[in-house]
Amino acid sequence: MRRRDAVVTVRSQTSGPGVRVSAPWVIAVLAGVLGIAVSAYLTVEHYTNSTSFACPETAAINCLKVTTSRWSVIAGVPVAVLGLAYFVVMTALVAIPRRAAALRALRLLGAAAGMVMVFYLVYVELFRVDAICLWCTGVHVLTLIVFATVLWRDGVGDRA
Amino acid sequence: MSRSTSTRGRQAAQRAAAARERIAAAQRRRRLFVVGGSVAVVVLIVAVLVVVKVATGSGPASGKKATSASAQVVQKVSTVPDAVLNTIGVGTAQTPPHKISGAPLRSGGKPEVLYVGAEYCPYCAAERWAVAVALARFGTLHGVGEVTSSPTDVYPSTATLAFHGASLDSPVLAFTPRELQSNQVVNGNYAPLDTLTAAQQALVNKYDAPPYVPANSRGAIPFVDIGGQYMISGASYNPGVLQHKTQKQIAAALSDPSSPIARSVDGTANLITAAICATTGGSPGNVCSSSGVAAAKAHLGASS
Repeated sequence: MRRRDAVVTVRSQTSGPGVRVSAPWVIAVLAGVLGIAVSAYLTVEHYTNSTSFACPETAAINCLKVTTSRWSVIAGVPVAVLGLAYFVVMTALVAIPRRAAALRALRLLGAAAGMVMVFYLVYVELFRVDAICLWCTGVHVLTLIVFATVLWRDGVGDRA
Repeated sequence: MSRSTSTRGRQAAQRAAAARERIAAAQRRRRLFVVGGSVAVVVLIVAVLVVVKVATGSGPASGKKATSASAQVVQKVSTVPDAVLNTIGVGTAQTPPHKISGAPLRSGGKPEVLYVGAEYCPYCAAERWAVAVALARFGTLHGVGEVTSSPTDVYPSTATLAFHGASLDSPVLAFTPRELQSNQVVNGNYAPLDTLTAAQQALVNKYDAPPYVPANSRGAIPFVDIGGQYMISGASYNPGVLQHKTQKQIAAALSDPSSPIARSVDGTANLITAAICATTGGSPGNVCSSSGVAAAKAHLGASS
């Protein structure tokens, strides 16, 4: 028996693209909302100087070391704030269930940009700061989930 | 409508449905290929980074080498106005000195302040400012340097004073600074500087350990023993307030009661001063009876 994604489709009566709420849509929105929550926590910790970080501290894992490093700010803006802004925008984009070409392109661009940033931040953690921040890793995983779901929804065009 | 026409219509509909199903299945396969492949590439790139990191290893990095402190910095640290210190009280100091009931710690017939730290240590970097402000109220500091904490540790490259080789000229108080390591990496480790005497090491072993500090903070630096009556383990305020500031900026901020730096450093200095006053019998009177020190005295930690 073939497995099908649970899809609730509300086709518009016009010839324009349909409005589709699917399992990938739900996963993308959930990942976006979680991303907002974690980024907000990192932002609060950044501005309160991170004295209460809920993060284990070992030789390899040290959130404080990462979030207080000089790489935690890009062009004067804390990376945590950039992450928060990114997830707010991406959550809004993925929450729109329409599949208009411009919207799809925007989502794909945003998801790809997020992954490029993840690669940069992982590089900085490993080779510049010399420590891994677990909360940041959580954000990276959520970015990957958003990327994968956006790719699933928008990366392969419908031929039907 | 005839029966044959109806049958042909059903067959056409079934063929169309089967075609749509084939197209949908092909699309799912394409999606799986694109998404699965992309995620696999991402995981592969991260894995390569981790493998390279593990293979190349890591280690500490040197900070800015210690130099003599500028006269301007020392002057500002030594002359924080009484009015500012009194206005701030304990400010935003977070951890007051802890009362201990050890043998009196004395040197040259005077109560002694033993400071143990390291130049690379960011928490020591923070505490030194407050210790210096407090000590300067009892005498004149000599031989103080300027240094930055490790660039690869928490609160990286925090600008601070250096106590290696420093001394205090005071009629009522002795000061013994011990910087165990510099901020310069030699053979993969921070180079050693001062060593502790057996008696000093015994104090660290006894008071920088449970029940005076949590088990996971055993041996933490900075460690300050104030006349055998009070001790400090770790920074007394949040070192984050010093981030991205130079020594000159920090020293200048100490006299501004609205500055977060002054509220942290001067507040901690008042607490340390109150603890020192407990060992000097309230001398000098103008310092120990000031309202800022009186306010701090009420916050001094209880005995263990």
